[in-house]
Amino acid sequence: MFGKLTWSAIPFDQPIPLITSIVLILVILGVLALVTVRGWWGMLWREWITSVDHKRIGIMYGLLGVVMLVRGFADAVMMRSQQAFAVGAHRGYLAPEHYDQIFSAHGTIMIFFAAMPLVIGFMNFVTPLQLGVRDVAFPTLNSVSFWLTASGALLVNISLFVGEFARTGWLPYPPLSESAYSPGVGVDYYLWAIQISGIGTLMTGINFVTTVLKLRCPGMSYLRMPMFCWTTLASSLLIVAVFPILSATLAMLSLDRVFGWHYFTSDAGGNPMMFMNLIWAWGHPEVYILVLPAFGIFSEVFSTFSGKPLFGYRSMVAATLFICIVAMMTWLHHFFTMGSGPAVNTAFGISTSVIAVGTGVKIYNWIFTMYGGRVRMTVPMLWSLGFIFTFVIGGMTGVLLAVPPADFLVHNSMFLVAHFHNVIVGGVVFALFAGLDYWFPKAFGFRLHEGWGKAAFWLAFIGFWVTFVPLYWLGMLGMTRRLQHVWIPEWGPLLDWSLAGVAILVAGAAAQVIMLVVSIRQRDRRRDTTGDPWDGRSLEWATPSPPPFFNFAQLPDVEGEEAYWTIKLRALESQRLDPEPHYQAVEMPVNSAVGFFTAFFATVTGFSLIWHIWWLAGLGLLGAFVGFVFFAWRDVHEFHVPAEEVARADRARRAARTALLGERGAEAAAS
Amino acid sequence: MSDPETFAAGPASELDGREDHAPGDAPSEDAGYWVHNANFGLALSVLLTAGAFAVVRSDLVWGPAIPVALLVLAIAQMGVQLVFFLHITTGPDNTNNVLALAFGLLVTFLIVVGSIWIMDHLNHNMMPMQQLMQMQP
Ligand code: HEM
Ligand SMILES: [Cu+2]
Repeated sequence: MFGKLTWSAIPFDQPIPLITSIVLILVILGVLALVTVRGWWGMLWREWITSVDHKRIGIMYGLLGVVMLVRGFADAVMMRSQQAFAVGAHRGYLAPEHYDQIFSAHGTIMIFFAAMPLVIGFMNFVTPLQLGVRDVAFPTLNSVSFWLTASGALLVNISLFVGEFARTGWLPYPPLSESAYSPGVGVDYYLWAIQISGIGTLMTGINFVTTVLKLRCPGMSYLRMPMFCWTTLASSLLIVAVFPILSATLAMLSLDRVFGWHYFTSDAGGNPMMFMNLIWAWGHPEVYILVLPAFGIFSEVFSTFSGKPLFGYRSMVAATLFICIVAMMTWLHHFFTMGSGPAVNTAFGISTSVIAVGTGVKIYNWIFTMYGGRVRMTVPMLWSLGFIFTFVIGGMTGVLLAVPPADFLVHNSMFLVAHFHNVIVGGVVFALFAGLDYWFPKAFGFRLHEGWGKAAFWLAFIGFWVTFVPLYWLGMLGMTRRLQHVWIPEWGPLLDWSLAGVAILVAGAAAQVIMLVVSIRQRDRRRDTTGDPWDGRSLEWATPSPPPFFNFAQLPDVEGEEAYWTIKLRALESQRLDPEPHYQAVEMPVNSAVGFFTAFFATVTGFSLIWHIWWLAGLGLLGAFVGFVFFAWRDVHEFHVPAEEVARADRARRAARTALLGERGAEAAAS
Repeated sequence: MSDPETFAAGPASELDGREDHAPGDAPSEDAGYWVHNANFGLALSVLLTAGAFAVVRSDLVWGPAIPVALLVLAIAQMGVQLVFFLHITTGPDNTNNVLALAFGLLVTFLIVVGSIWIMDHLNHNMMPMQQLMQMQP
């Protein structure tokens, strides 16, 4: 009846997961109770859960990403403390089978459910605004994408309480991940969570390729798009190119596990090394899927806060597309040691180093953007400067790893761990925090507290280096990754240093929370009434903060690079806005519950496939299909926003802009 | 497309001046045209598939020439798919579709050829001990 599911799946005998899950369940129940008591369900359902507004979906992605970032960070704190405690004769507090689940969950959560949702959240919120349009190409599909991602995240978290998670690392290498060596449900949780969210990500990729190629406001030709839109395009192209590989590879592993097939087993003609090959053909491009939009965020920040157009815009576009293509030609550097021999290793070593050239071009462009500009040291700017410093060093250790003979010495050591955290934290996470501070006023209508923002940056920056320099060192001493117990007492002090760094990072996280709380409490004082708090250059700053759900009353007509800057200069020179347009009704897509329903049934299906409850899996699939058919027969896709409503919103915006004009004019006269 | 106004923003001639729009957008062709187009393509591809079976099953074609005939039919099938379903034409407004096809081919080429190359060298270098012993004279 319930497949492999029995009461023994609940970890009654393991206090850590049990207590964590109970606390989590209580928190969730508390939130649900609060929502019920306050009567927020209707509002939540109408304004958020069924919303197809790209800004709302972007914010929900952000929320999901932040929650999972906290969860992943908790895993990291446990791992670093276990290693610091379990040196020599000491055993630490985490048993091996538990420790193995933690490092697997940490990597999986951070990449798939923290970094990806946050990056995609920014793509959602920012790209249509910057392109001067009202939504993405397929708004309902966008909602489905989000809810499928959330469904995957939910499954990973259910594994904490019901069953177990994979103990194989964030990429489940066979033969370890085959049923012979991992008979439990851990790997199945991994497989179905990633499979479901991966489909969501693929649809996001398709959506954003289409959006950038086909939905731009009049005059927004390719070479007038802001840099962030270019990186959205490049990242989405990579998603479309490689996520199918991930799905296919994991599907083959599932077939091995469920039906006893032999794609990747070490007997009966299977080949585990084919899994490494395929998974990295996805895995390396994946790191660029994450880091390219991060580069886009930094480009926006450097240019805005230097008061200058991005230096070498066209070379930046070229470098982005170059990276997009070459990213698909380097994957073997993750398994130099597997034995393809000198010819293959050399070729991939060279292609890997060549990528660094594209990245180098970008670094110089950012530096020259600041050169001669009026640099404002705001919080986003601090994160961006911290990024340049951190990422350059991460890139250099990467180039070192790209030299096969050197990689043989430090492959899978703590040096590798330090390298990729160096590029992912310094590149992606710093960008996410920069972007949070930069676009927060646009999304919510008020600015974040500067002082706490700066404190958060410095703590994160210093904490990062104190944590990871010892790990580089340990790697060179020969410490391998993923150790539950450390035999060599001499390594103890370095592990303690690393733990001290984590303590600083915890303080940094606390500073972020305080920043949010303080800013929310002071929101009335911190309101951005102008819509253009940073003296921005691209079209999102032409809208009020927060923008109306239809973004633009009339689609802008772009006349050059830096669309909004041109409009602003013209207004400043003539001291008045462009004449009021003739307002027309606007058509917007109607809400849809199909995303939520599909994800609900996807979760049910995933859960039953994990536990081999076949009948329920069948029901789940049927439910998802029925929801889809129901949706396909929908015959109202859009609703009209009357011209008067559009006019009312836009006149308010124009009034605010006129006031801003007076202010800026007076400033200019005074200086 | 959810937002007709994006494209209705200017007269059609203005749209055509932009370097990047593809068949589906051109207001001159309505939905009916594309349904008709897809049905025609479907009919052609079914015909070609049936044709392949017919060639093998009957003796319409001289035996040794059958592979060649199949090849011809397969290439025609590819053409039909590209033109009617992927909407690849030689028109100046078709850059996006052609680029998408080229990108897909590039990715497939890189992954397939790269994998074969990698796995071939791996298998050669990592031959199981037994086999290696057998190869020794
Ligand atoms: C300058 C460019 C870079 C170069 C040359 C480079 C090189 C490498 C090499 C050779 C490895 C494999 C080392 C080994 O397994 O022994 C590696 C691992 C890794 N790199 Fe990079 N990298 C670069 C940038 C990045 C970026 C930008 C990211 C992410 C945003 C990234 C994320 C990773 C990850 C996650 C791993 C290890 C995954 C694992 O084994 O679990 N790298 N890198
Ligand atoms: Cu890589």
